[in-house]
Order: sequence, then C-alpha cells, then structure tokens
Amino acid sequence: MKKKVLSALLSVAMVSSLLIGCGASEETTSAAPADDANAEETEAVDADVEFEAGEGQVYYLNFKPEQDEQWKALAASYTEQTGVPVTVVTAASGTYEETLAAEISKDEAPTLFQVNGPVGLANWADYCYDLTGSDIVSNLTSDAFALKNGDEISGVAYVIESYGIITNVELLEKAGYTVGDIQSFADLKKVAEDITARKDELGFAAFTSTGMDGSSDWRFKTHLANLPIYFEYQADGISDTQAIKGTYLDNYKQIFDLYINNSTCDPKELASKTGDDAENEFAEGKAVFFQNGSWEYGNLTGKGMTDEQLYMIPIYVGEGEESMQGLCTGTENYWCVNNEASDEDIASTLAFINWCVSSDEGTQAMSDMGFTIPFKDAKLAANVFISQDAAYTAAGKNPVSWNFTTMPSEEWKNGVGSALTAYAAGTGDWDAVVSAFVDGWASEKALAQ
Amino acid sequence: MEEKVKQTPGKIVLSIIMGIISVAWLYPIFMILINSLKTERSISTSTIFKLPTAESFNGIKNFAEALTSQGFAQAFGYSLVITVTSLVLILICCSMCAWYITRVDSILSKVVYYLFVFSMVVPFQMLMFTLSSTADRLNLDTPFKICIIYLGFGAGLAVFMFTGFMKTIPVELEEAAMIDGCDPLMTFFRIDLPVLKPTIISVAILEAMWLWNDYLLPYLVLDRKKYTTIPILIQYFKGSYGSVQMGPMMACILMTILPVIILYLAAQKYIIEGVVAGAVKG
Amino acid sequence: MEKAVKQYWPIFVLPTVAAFIIGFIYPFIQGVYLSFCQFSTIKKAKFVGLKNYQYALTDESFFHAFGYTLAFAVVSVILINVIAFLIALALTSKIKGANIYRTVFFMPNLIGGIVLGYIWKTLLDCFLSIIEQPLLALNEKWGFAGLVILMCWQQIGYMMIIYIAGLQSIDKAYLEAAMIDGANKVQTLFKVKIPNVMSSITICLFLTLTNGFKLFDQNLALTGGEPAHRSEMLALNIYDTFYARSGKQWKGYGQAKAVVFCILVIAISLIQLRATKSKEVQA
Repeated sequence: MKKKVLSALLSVAMVSSLLIGCGASEETTSAAPADDANAEETEAVDADVEFEAGEGQVYYLNFKPEQDEQWKALAASYTEQTGVPVTVVTAASGTYEETLAAEISKDEAPTLFQVNGPVGLANWADYCYDLTGSDIVSNLTSDAFALKNGDEISGVAYVIESYGIITNVELLEKAGYTVGDIQSFADLKKVAEDITARKDELGFAAFTSTGMDGSSDWRFKTHLANLPIYFEYQADGISDTQAIKGTYLDNYKQIFDLYINNSTCDPKELASKTGDDAENEFAEGKAVFFQNGSWEYGNLTGKGMTDEQLYMIPIYVGEGEESMQGLCTGTENYWCVNNEASDEDIASTLAFINWCVSSDEGTQAMSDMGFTIPFKDAKLAANVFISQDAAYTAAGKNPVSWNFTTMPSEEWKNGVGSALTAYAAGTGDWDAVVSAFVDGWASEKALAQ
Repeated sequence: MEEKVKQTPGKIVLSIIMGIISVAWLYPIFMILINSLKTERSISTSTIFKLPTAESFNGIKNFAEALTSQGFAQAFGYSLVITVTSLVLILICCSMCAWYITRVDSILSKVVYYLFVFSMVVPFQMLMFTLSSTADRLNLDTPFKICIIYLGFGAGLAVFMFTGFMKTIPVELEEAAMIDGCDPLMTFFRIDLPVLKPTIISVAILEAMWLWNDYLLPYLVLDRKKYTTIPILIQYFKGSYGSVQMGPMMACILMTILPVIILYLAAQKYIIEGVVAGAVKG
Repeated sequence: MEKAVKQYWPIFVLPTVAAFIIGFIYPFIQGVYLSFCQFSTIKKAKFVGLKNYQYALTDESFFHAFGYTLAFAVVSVILINVIAFLIALALTSKIKGANIYRTVFFMPNLIGGIVLGYIWKTLLDCFLSIIEQPLLALNEKWGFAGLVILMCWQQIGYMMIIYIAGLQSIDKAYLEAAMIDGANKVQTLFKVKIPNVMSSITICLFLTLTNGFKLFDQNLALTGGEPAHRSEMLALNIYDTFYARSGKQWKGYGQAKAVVFCILVIAISLIQLRATKSKEVQA
C-alpha cells in the first residue's frame, strides 16, 4: 500500500512537471488538440456556463479518509496544470454529515460534496446543483448512476463498490473444497458446518468474528440487511417503500445464524470483537470466510495477503436463482455540486470532476485509489475483487443492487444493530430483530416525511 | 525535611500502597508506548496488554507514518501557534482590563466584571453555532486570528483571577508612581505587573492547558481547508469503513503527550503552585 | 488617580471587551434569539416562536441525557473528591516518596479530553474483550463506568493538589491541641482537618460538578454516545442534534436545548455556591 502511494505520487509529480510545459504553450495554441486534460476542460466549460474554468475555485469535501493523500496529490497536479485552485478536505470517519453541516454554512463552503443516496439527498437537496446536461452526466456508463431528484439530476455516482464473502482460497483448499463448490446457501452451509466440525483439526474456523461494535456492525445491520430488502423489492417490483414487509427476514436469520455459529469465537463473545479483529483473524489465516467489500483489498494485502489467496463469492441467502446471483454491487458515494457557490466556482468544479473521470491522469489516479468508476473512460483498478466482480458480470450473473441507500435513517440501522447484537449474545430473540426491521422502518420513514 | 521524619511501619505500608497505585496510574501511558511499537496486525482488541515480541515489533515505523502521512508536525505547529499567541494576548489584555475594572469604580465596570464572571459558567454548546459563524464572517479562521476568539471566550477566567489578586495590591503605591509623573500605562507595567507575576503564572498555566487541549472550538472555527490541530488530527486514523490504524494513532498520541509531560516535569513547581493559586482565587 | 486611569480606557479595556463582544456577548445574544427560529444558516433564520422549546422539552433523548449527566455528575463528584482527599491525606502524612507520587497523580490532568478518550477506549475495550463482555460501544453499563474511571484518572490529581494545599495550611497548633486533648486519628480528621479545609472542599466540589456537567470531549471520544445515544450526556446530545442530523428543523432544536442546558448549568452553579458558602461560615 505504502509503496503504491509513493509510486502514485511520483508518477503524478512526473506527469505534472511534463504538463506544466504543455500548459504554458497551451495559451497560444489553444486551437490545437493538446493533451487530454486540457481538451476535456474546455469542453466542460462550454457545457452550460460561459465562464472560463480558470476563474473559479474548487473545494472538495472528501468522504474517504483512506484516499485523502491521493486526492490531495491529484488536486495539486490539477492546479499546476490549469491554475484552478483545488482544495481537498477530508472529514474524519463518521463525521461527514456534521462536517458538511458546519462547512456549508461558511462563506467559503465546499463546492463539491457527497451524499450517500436518496436518503442522504433528501437532507441536502436544497444545496444540489442540477447536473442535467453537464459533461459528467453524459460520461456515465449508465443512467442508473445518476441520482435524480424529480426531473433534476442532483448527483452522480463516482465509485462503484462490491461486497460479498471474501474467501481465503488457500484455507478452503486445505479443508478440501474449492470456491466452485459453493454455488448456493445450502453449499455454503454445508462447507461452513463441516469446517466448524473439524475446527480443531484444521486450525481455523469458517467465518471471522461477527463483531458488533461500530467498526464492524455495518457489515450486518446495513450490508447484510440489504439482501432481504433487495429480494423484497425484486418481488414487488419497487425500488423504495414506506413500509417494509420483511418477507425475506427468515433468509436474513439463516445467514446470520450461519455466521455467528461458525465463527472464530462463541456467539456470546461477538460483542467484544471489532472490525479490525475480524480483519486480523482473516489476514492471519484463522478463518476462511470474511464478509466485506472491495475496499478491503488494500488493508488485506497490506497485512500480507496475496492476490492468489483472495476470492470474493456472493452472499447466498437461499433465495432467488442462486446460481445466477452475483456480488452485491452498487454505490453510496454520489458527488453533488453546491448550487450556492458562485457561477465561476460551479463551472470550475464541473470541469474538475469531469477531468477526474475522463482524462488520462484522472482516471489513472482513480484506479490507483482502487476505485471502479462508472464512466466511459475508466481504467480497471488494480484490485482482484473488482476484476472478479467483472468476471461474474461477464458470466451473466446478476449483481445484487445496493438498496440500503433507501434505509430510512441511521437510527433505523442502529435499532437493527442493537437487536442483532442482543440476539447474537442470547439476551434477545429474533422477534426483536424483526420488530426493529419492520416497525422501525415504518416509524423512521414517517419521521423523514 | 522529609528525611528527618521517622518512618513507622504504618507509614512504610502507606508508602508502598501509594507506590502501587502510582504504577497503576502510569499504566495507560505505558500501554500507549508498547502499542506504538507494534505492527498493525498484531494489535487486536484483546492483545493491547501484551508486550511487543520480536515478531510484532515494528520499530519506529508507526512514528514515521504518523509524521509523514497525517501531517503530525504541521498540526503540532498550529496547536503551538494557537496556544502561544492566544496565551500572550489573554495575559496582557486581561490583566490590563482587570486593573481598570478594579481601579475605576463605575457601574459600567461592575457590569463588565459580572458579565465576565457569567461567561465562565456558560457552556460552549450555547455559542458553538453562532460563534463559529461570527468567526467565519469576520474571517477569524486562521491560527493567528483565532486568538481574538480565544481572548473573548477565555477572558472570563483570566479577568476573574486577575481582579481577585488586583484588589490586594495597595493603591498607595500606584498613586505615588502617578505623582512622580508616570501615566497609567507606565504605572501598570512598572508597579503592578511585577507584583502580579505569580498570578500571571497561574492564569497562564490554567489557560494554556485549556488552549492546548481544546477540541471543539478550533474544530468549528478554523479554516478546515488549511489547518488542523492535534486533537482534531487524532480522529483521522479511522477509515471510512471503520478500521483504525492503531499503531500510528498510538504513536501520534505518544508524541502529543510526551512534550507536555516533559514540560510538566521541568516546570512542576510552577504548575502545581499555579493550580493551587488558581483554585484558591477561583 | 481614577480620572487619569479612566482616560486610558481605550488601551486598557477596549481590546478585551471588543474581543469579549465578538467571542461571547454577540454570539450569546444571537444564540438566545436563534433558539426561537428555524435556521440552517444565520441568514436564513425564520422565527417560529416556542416550537423549538416544545420539541426540546418533550425529546426523550434529551431527558435521558439529562438523567445520565446528573447520575454521572453525582457519582464522579463523590468518587473524585473522596479519593483525592484520601490520597492528599496519605501524601501529607510525611511518607517516603510523597513528592514523586504527587507528580505522578497530577500528570493525567495535562492530557486533553479527546486524547484521554481514545486512550481509555483502547484500554477498556481490551479489558472487556478479555473478560468476554461487550465492548464500550455496545455496553451501557461499562460506558458509564468508563466515563467515571476516565474522569477519576484525569481529575483526582488536580483535586489532590488543592486538598494538599488546604491540609498543609492548617495551623499546626490546632493539630497539636487535638493531640493533647487525646483525640484519635479519626476524631482529628473529622473535628480538625475537614472543617479547616472546608474552603478547599467548596472549590473542588464546584470544579468537579461543573466539569461533570459540561463534559464533552471525553464523552465524544470514549463512547460517542453509543449504544444508540444511551451514553450521551447533555453537551453531546446538543452537539448531535445540531450537527449529526441534517434537516432544517434540527439546528433550532439544538439551540433551544443549548439554552435550557445553559440555564441548568447556571442554576446549579448558583445553588452549589450558596450551599457550600453557608457551610463554610458555620465551620
């Protein structure tokens, strides 16, 4: 990871020093199709505002702390080439909403921020510039990646992520199986229970600990909970609802039971495990399966795992056509442009984001950050999980969409999380989970109105 | 002095008990030290208490990581700038203000005095939104200009303590100086300031502890595009999906508290006296 | 002389008072006004009357935070003062190494709230995982205990210093007189020492109580209010209402809560000061 950052920085520095030369001569020969970056920039400016990109400035409030340095390097490089000042500020983990709330009321508010989907958008819709007709929208590979608010396009997805069950192939083979053996929930259950039965002999467990503290519980209360919601939406042909029925909560229970009963530790101890603990268990070969996403790649390889050891399989819950099920793929990261910024700043911001996702340097930087971006000029990220996701899609499997962006609120997730924790610890029953899921949904959705 | 006292068995036992408690008292700091030396994968929730082994020893890599990638040095510098400039400003302005209030007996100075006392009690949450937007509007969002906010918000305690002491200085001295041709400014700096020294030290210590460690005010007021302070920086060791870089975080904490502890050990006498004096006045 | 000094007001008081107006008076008045408004920025404030207070005074989480804060303040005030006083007694009884111990006990006081919170979160989580209990973020009981432990660690040293100063300033003649009268150690403690350090006790009670009520940084870093706002104290509850919820109504609610909180803190300070002042006179 470190090395990669360093090499990315070096290459950015090299490229930018080359481009300074180009930029200088650019002014006189602007008609010539110069390098990618400059061409894109002039296009973007033409789009809907008549200001030069050079006049405004960009202030990006970034969501992901792990990419902070890379964003800053990219911004610096862009500034060097175009003269447009780009400032990147990263909010500390878990404080994005409050940082945005504090920053947006300032005179120099962020011109570029992010929301996590329709629910997040509802809070910030007043500040979202309508992106309809802008270059960034036309560069999207699919309309589905535009976040709409009525007729307006309020945001565009800028990174696509996948999650599933990360499998340590090496250990799985030691236990006598291959990833090909797992094609359904029944298979997964059989393998997991067999590993548990031979836990002492094998020296490892089936699943990493299902830690339920704040650094880990989102894997279950949000990501895993997506599956019953997904299947319900599919069955009803909807994409959001005021009242969830909970038709597939038994499937949710099945998979959660499988996790907690076949993990590295006793279900009662789960509440004393964190996300870092699960990650360490997996990296040290103490468990075969680890439910997490493509973003974990950097952490796992940083802790010494190799590409050959890692494979991500879909989360089977025993519903739908399982042989055709792919990974859970989607996004909860949408870029929005602040409509209260000056026209110059808006134009510059639009030019900047378009450059990020279409120029050679921009797309390279995105790929170095490990991002799969839903834009036409995207480069494939150096991340085995992402290539595996692409392989699933190529094989005709249907990705499971991210519907947790329609979850009513953080309060709802926390309610489900507490009920799950109590259930795992044996102090609460499953009915409480169902109630938090179904009743909590209705009451929180009502509050949001 | 201490040596002359006869150590009865009871005293020895008491001394040993206190010794044990002291060791326990220092344990959290020791815990940070050992974990700052471990590799990332060997810090799990349940292995915090374990000493680093040959396998889990990471040398000073965590310190290097905290210094380079998270901009520790910068944040440390900004924290220092904020603390020093605000402190100097508070000490000078508030002592002068306190002198005026005690020497000029008018309704206005009484009102101002009670307002200062009142401000000591008011919780920061009452002002956090309005204060940060005021600061934003007046562009008081750099480490140098934020000291004006600190002067305003920290004035309560300082003025209160200075006036408490100022009342005990005999006015006759000042009057004599004035008759000798000193203007009030000279009188204040020549006559009062030297006498005030102990109070200045205790105000300085109390305010410095607050300034150095303050989190929410700089978090809301500072221009986040450019500046961070140490308490803000500590939060950046957590990724967006919740995984924490424990090693670098521990290294950062250690580098934050060590200078303070060294300063404390060096200036212990003043600090403890300052606290006592502050408490007795407060 | 007063006249001469008066002329110099622009130099002596103006800087401080101007900063005080910017940093306190103006935001305070504006804060009171905004508690009657719905606003996301100050420019967009809309007067809504008492609606914010209606919400604040019926909000369950606010009441819970109030009860929690009260419980925390009571427990931490008692523990900190009792332990600090006992240590001060021990360290003033001329034992060996008293100076070193005093140095050690005071040390945590220099560490800031946020850093303290992270240190203790790490420590307590490890302890809890070893005894196989839920971690702090999931554990209401231990979250409370953790806050109390943290505050004890931080503040005992400070209060101890004040008590030591108080104990050392007792006139030796009183203690000798008590000894001659044949008073035992317990009697000396309650009849001579405690009444004579009453002013120190006043100060320490006042300091710990207000510190407990206004606690924010430690709460934020140690538990962050988890699980599900159960370990949230008043200051954090207000902060969360303000910044963690997005929507037009929340800032107004938060400001109204802040005003209520402010009145509460002022009232407690007044009552407390009066109560201990009257005791002091009796003693």
